[in-house]
Amino acid sequence: MDSRAPIFGFNDARDEIVRTVVDRVVGSTRDPLLAMNEAAYQEAKRLEGSRKPQDIRELAEWQRLARSLGRMHDGERRRRLRELSEEYAWDIAGNFDRRVYQLSSRLLPPVVSALLAPRKLMTVVRDPLKLVSLELLADRVLVEGPLAKLRSLVQRGTAVYVPTHLSNMDSIVFGYALERAGLPPATYGAGKNLFTNPVLSFFMHNLGAYRVDRRIRHNLYKDVLKTYSGVLLERGYHSLFFPGGTRSRSGGVERKLKLGLVGSAFEAYTRTLQSGRERRVFFVPATINYLITLEAETLIADFLSEAGKGRFIIEDDESSRIGRIASFLRKLLAMNAAVVIRFSEPLDPFGNRVDELGRSFDARGREVDPASYVKDLAGKAVIDAARDAQYARELGEEICRAYARDTVVMATHVVAAASFARLRSQAPAADLFTVLRQRDVITVPRDDLAADVVALCDRLRALEQRGCIVLGEDVRLGSGGDIVERAMRAFAGYHSSPVLDSRPDGIALCDTNLLFYYQNRLAAHGVAWDVIAPPGVPSGLQVQPPLPPLEPASSPPPLEEPRGSASSSSSASSRAGEADAHVGSMNGAGGGQ
Amino acid sequence: MSAPGSALPAPSVGVIGGGFWGVALALAASRTGAEVLLYSRREQPQLRGGPRIVRDHAEVARARLLVIAVPSNAARTALRALGDHMDGSHLVIHGVRGLEGEALKTVSDLVREETPARRVGALGGPVQEDELREGRPSAMVCGSRFPEVHAAVTAAFQSDALHVYTTPDLQGLEWASALVGCLAIGVGFAEQAGAGPGLLAALISRAVDSAARIAAAAGAEERTMLGLGGYGDLLASIRLEGRPEVVLGKALARGRTLDEAVAEARLRVEAIPLIPRVVAFAKARRVDAGVFEALETTLKGGAPRAVLDRMFAA
Repeated sequence: MDSRAPIFGFNDARDEIVRTVVDRVVGSTRDPLLAMNEAAYQEAKRLEGSRKPQDIRELAEWQRLARSLGRMHDGERRRRLRELSEEYAWDIAGNFDRRVYQLSSRLLPPVVSALLAPRKLMTVVRDPLKLVSLELLADRVLVEGPLAKLRSLVQRGTAVYVPTHLSNMDSIVFGYALERAGLPPATYGAGKNLFTNPVLSFFMHNLGAYRVDRRIRHNLYKDVLKTYSGVLLERGYHSLFFPGGTRSRSGGVERKLKLGLVGSAFEAYTRTLQSGRERRVFFVPATINYLITLEAETLIADFLSEAGKGRFIIEDDESSRIGRIASFLRKLLAMNAAVVIRFSEPLDPFGNRVDELGRSFDARGREVDPASYVKDLAGKAVIDAARDAQYARELGEEICRAYARDTVVMATHVVAAASFARLRSQAPAADLFTVLRQRDVITVPRDDLAADVVALCDRLRALEQRGCIVLGEDVRLGSGGDIVERAMRAFAGYHSSPVLDSRPDGIALCDTNLLFYYQNRLAAHGVAWDVIAPPGVPSGLQVQPPLPPLEPASSPPPLEEPRGSASSSSSASSRAGEADAHVGSMNGAGGGQ
Repeated sequence: MSAPGSALPAPSVGVIGGGFWGVALALAASRTGAEVLLYSRREQPQLRGGPRIVRDHAEVARARLLVIAVPSNAARTALRALGDHMDGSHLVIHGVRGLEGEALKTVSDLVREETPARRVGALGGPVQEDELREGRPSAMVCGSRFPEVHAAVTAAFQSDALHVYTTPDLQGLEWASALVGCLAIGVGFAEQAGAGPGLLAALISRAVDSAARIAAAAGAEERTMLGLGGYGDLLASIRLEGRPEVVLGKALARGRTLDEAVAEARLRVEAIPLIPRVVAFAKARRVDAGVFEALETTLKGGAPRAVLDRMFAA
């Protein structure tokens, strides 16, 4: 592991980072009056009605500010704007403690061990290995993907990890995966609500997490946040974003992303070009796959409740209950390959693939200079928010394709999909809620369910051969019966009521909501019912197979040779393109001449 | 002409494709003062003094704004060859009417697959080749998500005689252009079969509505088909006796076989293979495509009267 990663010097640089952020935010705010008015309005709206003394105090302050803004002269407004930005920037800024990192990196999150037995925290500090055996964990949590390439890339540029998001465990699990992969730690934004737990908060604070207060909705705060993450990227801090924005409520793999923070990478990269110290940015999509999800019950209930759809922050789910976390971890530690973190092929910000030397290649495998994408007519690197928003959008689509291809199918997903198909076949024309209402109505003979699972696995195997999905070990190697058995063992004892129940005449399909949740993992691939496609995304979208792999980089890179062969093929192909002899079918191509 | 760009050197435009449309676009661009390179395999003696003919992809790729004007079946090959000489700084637009293959890929999809360019766009709308060539007033649409592309296209093409409208809905414009190509066959057919102005208007309106839904199922915005790039483009076909799609439709209405009709149209009509694929697409997405089904029947030699009834009923 490389301890030269910038995050190890974060505490020394923090003042400067905050100063840069504040300067940029203040400098780019054209109308301080408008910005502060909007902030005051949004904050007053949020704080009104709260009875907490702290909130009441804040509300009064905002109201005072709102009243006085109109009378202030411009200099004073700028000063207030600076103060506010500074307050926010410090609130966001994190901390990084090497000792805490070294301690925590020894185990699947010490946080977790601490939560398992909070009183043992001191034992953990003295001897971390006592609590959990690392070898044991290595079988439980698998880390896959082009790890050697990633290790090479983090030496050459800034990595932006963009994994799928299912659970509050994700950032912890992902941090562990980075450590296991021999990759330096990444900084990331964590919801402020996660900082309320003193134990969790202690580690988060010291592992480079910065705080995101998702209750604050006004643009000034968002500006500060976005600028903050941009400045970190610009300075080479490897970062972690969950571009889904929030945990997947349905259990499905993200097909639409929120790109605000991701978008800050374009400006960061352009700034490094402008300063003459190009530092390339590499996006690394990843999937975090769980045999069972800690918060499955809450999330799917939220997805299904009409009112819940707007609920962005859930503060009372399983991840806030120590008992649930403990039983989740006991389950996880009892089953092999219960969590798989799979890194995808890294991309440059413009969706091009990169090799281990950090060079970008287009879809045809031709090397391309990433700087060319941010250059204007005169060949100068320029920041252009409108342009970058489009790049971000296209990158988002590319990231979603990577998610689909690197989704790891586990026993619970396949068995849930087979079970849910049974539920549907009982009422073929029914809508989702009618299907879901059949709780504990249907019992499927074991052999039949196993046969369904086998059929499903055949389809999945065909998808895998085209590079469109990945089968977990259990699904790849197990017989139909094995897979059903494993799924039942995974469900049993964790979820509060049985998901599948073993009866004399077969397997009863009990918790239809959870079956729906777990089958949704396969919805985007067309092998499970897809009622969760986000608006604007066609349902059952075909997952695109990956591009042929890049030739392994040979260093030093070959000189002009590939160009020569390319241009000879180009003349051949333009001969083939001779068809322009009869145009006519193009736009408005005036006919009849 | 707009002032802001006037301090900069004249924008350099590269047009790929020496057919009618490519030549017309090259002429329109050179009329605004742009330095224009035209990649063409043919001699273009009529162009003396205007666009400069080049025969090398590397040379045409020196222009930052590249305009693809080759038939859709040649687009992939042309782009692949061109891509060897491009990087991310190129802006690539195309005026190709058509969707590729069973997957109905748009040409801008092909640009992304075959070249490193990301800043892509398309041209569409009712402007006709002869209007462009002769500098007669007309209007066209530039579709791109990138404001830079709009700016470059406007700078390169907008003149007193040509207004460039812009839309961010690139995909919508590409689908609209392709679907209008199909519908123009129907317009020709109906005119020849004796449809009066009222019936014709009804057919066109219903057809455009249906096309808008199909395009929306592909992820486009419905309103793009209803605008200049769709409806406007289709209206232009009413008066265009010589438009190949219209000629083809008329020949079919006179009872000619498809092969005879194609021979009569003299130019390749890209809509012929496209129509059944659009029907299949609409079926898979559960969108009504009655008009396109009727067109498919027409191509197979369905009885004119019955076809007209079917179209009207759709």
